[in-house]
Amino acid sequence: MALLLFIYVSIGAFIGLSIYRACQYAKMPLHGRWELYPVPKEPGERGHYGGSYYEELEYWTKPRKVSHMGEMKEMLKEMLFIKNLFVNQKRQWYLSYSLHLGIYLLGLWTVLLLAGAIVELTGTPIVAVNTSPVAAIIYYLTLYAGLAGVALLTIGSGGLVIKRIVNNVFSKYTTPQEYFNLLFLFAVALSGLVVWSVDPAFNYGREIFKGLITFSPITTNAALTVHIVLLGALMIYIPQTKMSHYVGKYFAFHKVLWENEPNLRNSKMEAKVKENLSYKPSTMWSAPHIHHHGTAAPEKK
Amino acid sequence: MDNIKPQDMGKTSDVLVRPEKLMPLPAPYDKPGMEPEFKPVKDTWKEDFCTSLDGFVGNDTLARPKTKEEEQEMIKKFLSGLDKLFSDQTNRGYLQPLALSFEYCAKCNTCSEACHTFKSSGETEIYRPIFRSEVLRKIYRKHKNGDSLVNRFIGGDIDLNIETILRLGELAYRCNLCRRCAQTCPLGLDNGLLAREIRKIFSMEMGIAPKPLHEKGTVNQLKIGSSTGLNKAALLDVIEFIEEDMYDKTGKEYKIPMDKKGADILLTHNAGEFLAWPENPAAFAIIFEEAGLNWTLSSEMIGYDNVNYGLFYDDAQAKKIGIQQFKAARDLGVRKIVIGECGHAHKAATVSMDRNVAGEDNIPRESFLPLLQDLIRKKAIKQDPSRNNFPVTLHDPCNMARMMGLIMPQREIINTICPQFREMTPNGAQNYCCGGGSGFAIMNSFNFPEFRNKIASRMKFKQILNAFQDTIEDPETPKYVCAPCSNCKGAIRDILDYYETTAKFNVHYGGLVELVVNAMPQFERPFLDFLDEEAGMM
Repeated sequence: MALLLFIYVSIGAFIGLSIYRACQYAKMPLHGRWELYPVPKEPGERGHYGGSYYEELEYWTKPRKVSHMGEMKEMLKEMLFIKNLFVNQKRQWYLSYSLHLGIYLLGLWTVLLLAGAIVELTGTPIVAVNTSPVAAIIYYLTLYAGLAGVALLTIGSGGLVIKRIVNNVFSKYTTPQEYFNLLFLFAVALSGLVVWSVDPAFNYGREIFKGLITFSPITTNAALTVHIVLLGALMIYIPQTKMSHYVGKYFAFHKVLWENEPNLRNSKMEAKVKENLSYKPSTMWSAPHIHHHGTAAPEKK
Repeated sequence: MDNIKPQDMGKTSDVLVRPEKLMPLPAPYDKPGMEPEFKPVKDTWKEDFCTSLDGFVGNDTLARPKTKEEEQEMIKKFLSGLDKLFSDQTNRGYLQPLALSFEYCAKCNTCSEACHTFKSSGETEIYRPIFRSEVLRKIYRKHKNGDSLVNRFIGGDIDLNIETILRLGELAYRCNLCRRCAQTCPLGLDNGLLAREIRKIFSMEMGIAPKPLHEKGTVNQLKIGSSTGLNKAALLDVIEFIEEDMYDKTGKEYKIPMDKKGADILLTHNAGEFLAWPENPAAFAIIFEEAGLNWTLSSEMIGYDNVNYGLFYDDAQAKKIGIQQFKAARDLGVRKIVIGECGHAHKAATVSMDRNVAGEDNIPRESFLPLLQDLIRKKAIKQDPSRNNFPVTLHDPCNMARMMGLIMPQREIINTICPQFREMTPNGAQNYCCGGGSGFAIMNSFNFPEFRNKIASRMKFKQILNAFQDTIEDPETPKYVCAPCSNCKGAIRDILDYYETTAKFNVHYGGLVELVVNAMPQFERPFLDFLDEEAGMM
């Protein structure tokens, strides 16, 4: 039962801490504009070549056009394929994408395990040969997604650890924590492989989900217990580290680099700006010119 | 010292690294003896300033403390400034972008390949974009966690001593803030921003910033009206001189409207243009007058100088200057501000200061480019492209292209009026900085121009040479680098002079409006001096 509670806690912590982190960023004050082109929400070709509304004569007299679809497409390319890394540093992309695709597939695998658990609770077993096509599809999809996911995650995390050790440039900039993070992922993937080796159809996963749904104890062996503890700890750990870049990336692109909303007269943005300008900070910078209208401090008499 | 790591910033040594194997240049600069060598660092500089990073002195107010007490005081002030960077009281305007770039770097090194300084220097480690950022991270962690085991685990392993602080103060001025690296970051992070934030600590907390930017830059501008030291009376003299010059060149009397209340357009220039390149404001005046626009210049405090060096190092100075510029426009009652050929003034007025203004001061602001494009499209000014029939290439100022999204208008104009136009590679939003960005163009203390000309501007010089490869070794063919930005023009002027490219290979530089006026068929004499001189020689 303790293990079951631990799983609840780790899932809750992952979601809760990730939301908390996102809220921390969302609550930060309105920042100065710091956009960088190309901005994909600029409509049409501009979104590709890097143009903006500043190319139009008296842009403020024309309706502002924003391509949400363009932004969404670019965001998805970055999230699903790590496009920038692929375009600019393909060698690193292979390992990094292996790790990330592995995680995405394991995410899908988790959803499939949940679906399988629900189907089994309704009385239809998830087995290879099945009269129910839904159950058969779930069985095979779970199998392939899980296997591919864990294999890619193992290769990606293990490969990145090795690269960071043997590549002189990478090793200079890698902190012990960054090695630890990769090894943590690798350990979870490896322990998953050990569990899978005695249960190739991932039945254990569906049993755990059935336990979670019905709040009933789960049966585990030593290998599975280790795997659950490691995975749960990882889920609690990730949102507290820079591995939570799934949160940061959204803000870095959507709220900073692609945020080019102009401050037009009587606009919503102008209202925000007014409010921000009325803020009185409690502390100030200390250099003399800060306190003397931008010029040097007056000479002492 | 070989194989340098961020942790080495605090180690005692005469110099951490001296760039040696620079990126090769294309022909004709691929031959030995075509490039001046680095000069030795003077011993007196070593005693008084920080030459221990790479042998260059960029920050000429970063004086080496003389006593242990002064050292401790300097470190203490730096750390106090570091805390203020992460406070929503003192760094409201940049807290979110800073926190993101500070926290999430995956150290994938993708940014390095995009950095012109790193590549030009032959991949000198300290110029790698993440090197500087990683030093800042390590200092912050050490500051917060001391010498604990946790600190070593999270990467706070750096000596928090005076050498680290001084070298970081110099290293903040080895980045042009061009943000090309940020375009390639898979996580959308920005090492240019971090370099600027470091500059802010030094300036806003410690009162240390290069004299050309601060004392002779923003302080002068707030006191006198212009970073050039040009006051109102001197400006009016210069305007008179420009009017005379316009008459000499065109045979037509033009009057530049000054302080015209209720004009449609307030045109603003980088005041450096009035002094160094008066043909640029002259060309604007000719175009605007010929097109019949209702426009004016301002002679009021700061209204005649659209530069804002605060953008490069100090938010407080940037804000004070920006507000004054908008006030000058409001006092004149103009409908809009049009920014002339200055890249950072473009960004300052339209982007950086955009969220520092509201209400009556929030006057619409735009680049001169769409206006000029419109005039040429409408044929409001006559153009004869055959008058510009020589090789022309275009430099995209980072502040206009990458940071504002101004890419196509200048191309449409130049394609219309220059039959031999050819692009640099890469260009547009992916352009390379001229090497003068973020203040480097005006930082001429000690041996900093060597760093600029040989390293920071090297990639641009390579691009220019490549763009003109077909005629570069033909001194009879004039070639023109069009750079619609004062700072970029300054940097390009310096490289063409440093490498004797104008003298040996007939490569010239200038703005866009000069090309437009040169293409006006109603004037007998060419507007561009190098063409005029050639005509004189024949």
